[in-house]
Amino acid sequence: MMNSNQEILTIALAGRIDSGNAAQTEADLQARLAGKGNISVILDASELEYISSAGLRVILRVKKAYPELKIINVISEIYEIFEMTGFTEMMTVEKAYRLVSVEGCEVIGEGANGKVYRIDGDNVVKTYKNADALSEIQHEREVARLALVLGIPTAISYDVVKVGDSYGSVFELLDAKSFSKLLAKEPERFDWCVAEYVKMLKKIHSTEVPEGKLPPFKEKVLTAIRRTKDVLPEGLGEKLVQMTEAIPESDHMIHGDYHTKNIVLAGDEVLVIDMDTLSVGHPIFDLMRMYSAYIGYSENDPEIILKFQGFDQTTARRFWHESLAEYLNTADEQVIGDVENKVRCLSYGYLIDWGTRHHADADLILLWKTRLIELLPLIDSLTFEVASAAAGAANEMDVEATTDNLQTVIDFIDARLEAVDCPMKSQMQMDIAVEEIFVNIANYAYAPGKGNATVRVEVSGDPVTVTITFIDRGVPYDPLKKEDPDVTLSAAEREIGGLGIFMTKKIMDDVSYEYKNGQNILTLKKKI
Amino acid sequence: MTIQKTKNGSELIIAPEGRLDTMTAPELEAELKASLDGVTALTIDLTELEYLSSAGLRVLLSAQKTMNNQGEMKVTGVNETIMEIFEVTGFSDILTIE
Repeated sequence: MMNSNQEILTIALAGRIDSGNAAQTEADLQARLAGKGNISVILDASELEYISSAGLRVILRVKKAYPELKIINVISEIYEIFEMTGFTEMMTVEKAYRLVSVEGCEVIGEGANGKVYRIDGDNVVKTYKNADALSEIQHEREVARLALVLGIPTAISYDVVKVGDSYGSVFELLDAKSFSKLLAKEPERFDWCVAEYVKMLKKIHSTEVPEGKLPPFKEKVLTAIRRTKDVLPEGLGEKLVQMTEAIPESDHMIHGDYHTKNIVLAGDEVLVIDMDTLSVGHPIFDLMRMYSAYIGYSENDPEIILKFQGFDQTTARRFWHESLAEYLNTADEQVIGDVENKVRCLSYGYLIDWGTRHHADADLILLWKTRLIELLPLIDSLTFEVASAAAGAANEMDVEATTDNLQTVIDFIDARLEAVDCPMKSQMQMDIAVEEIFVNIANYAYAPGKGNATVRVEVSGDPVTVTITFIDRGVPYDPLKKEDPDVTLSAAEREIGGLGIFMTKKIMDDVSYEYKNGQNILTLKKKI
Repeated sequence: MTIQKTKNGSELIIAPEGRLDTMTAPELEAELKASLDGVTALTIDLTELEYLSSAGLRVLLSAQKTMNNQGEMKVTGVNETIMEIFEVTGFSDILTIE
């Protein structure tokens, strides 16, 4: 950090700095710096066209005398030199950024940290309010990349630009509409939004994150809850802290700000954006943020939700309730209510701290506090069964991959196919394919040991397409690489075997394989 | 799956009924192994067969190989779906389908 009391001297570098003029440049710099004492130096490189190693040595010597040296407005060719020579790791080197004006642009999203504007047809820019925007942009880029690698569909910025005094990151988002907008403008898609929203949430929550890649969200919540403790009656505050501490650690991903403005439909693809809060933790933390977004912040004023999300309070409450029911995979109001109360406890505890620090409406803070004090005596733990919630989606099953379980898998598939009136012939063909793949996994994936396979069935689109996905964590094996048997040979010449995958390919319209995160993922598609 | 077996001298008719898959194919294989001795005309009647996977195909191929050395084999009662499977796998050229 630069000491703001310190004088800042900006010196422009121009043209070429090479062995021919490095000594002169150094002398010029010394002359400018002479007698200035304790100052911060910024080198403005916007006019710099070339720098050789002699020039770099000059900069190193300036850096030695002025450790807080910063180089700004570096064009990309020169930035590459700084990067290659390791200068970008030794000192702050800022690229020259394209200027983008957002005046008159449509605001398509707004978060705590800035707004998202559509700058032209398919491009949006996300602006950042904070002074330290560049490191934030960098952070978001890294976590978005990580999420994408782990299989979460998201948008990654392809450029950083200057927007007024701050910075923005540019994304390509084809015809993007946030779920908030869909809920506000196309209420007939409410159920679809709930289904897709929860599907994505479950996908995030079922994603394991390599150790150390994302921060634990629990710490952030605990810090807030410990502050809230002090404004709660004796005993209750302690109870909330203890229950929060008891929430189990998890290496599964959570989004950290999962509300409908951060879920977008781009073309026909659902994407999660605003990844800067990506963390690991128990799912209750995402539910907590969801409750805050849909109910907490606007609990005493319906105008707030309308202003923030664009849909009304009734829609917001219904969306929260339906999403929670879908997430928990139950229609049992008792079960939903129990989890909701746990979520509310944590949410109020977190909001009270946020509200106090951000000078929110005192009546609202009081309301949160009153509700929390009512709830706390009724709650004994903040955890709930996640296994059935996250993995128990009706269209997915996880079984031990053994041939004994083949019938269970076939029955599961058949039930789904029958539910969509799949023609008998297609159903039988898909059963054949499912058998081939499942038996293959059972016989080879974990041999000589045992392991599980996940089987997922999705039915979508027009024409109706069935997608069946097999996931196992056994030895990497791409069955599509196996050579097709020669079907023209006579019985005597034919090998017994090698037919299964060949039949599968013939039966299905599309078969694809990928190995990702230690998983064999085989996807079969067929139009019915 | 159940297996109907009709033997008339050196003629044998085997009719598997239900599903011929990974779980049931070994049964049919064992049945054939035990019955083919001295058989010169084998008929496999699939009229009551509902489902056939590659495990079942393997049994049929193995039976065909055996019969090539000792007589004839034909497959009867093939429905449309199973015929399609025979076709994509080239089995329609190997087997004598009536």
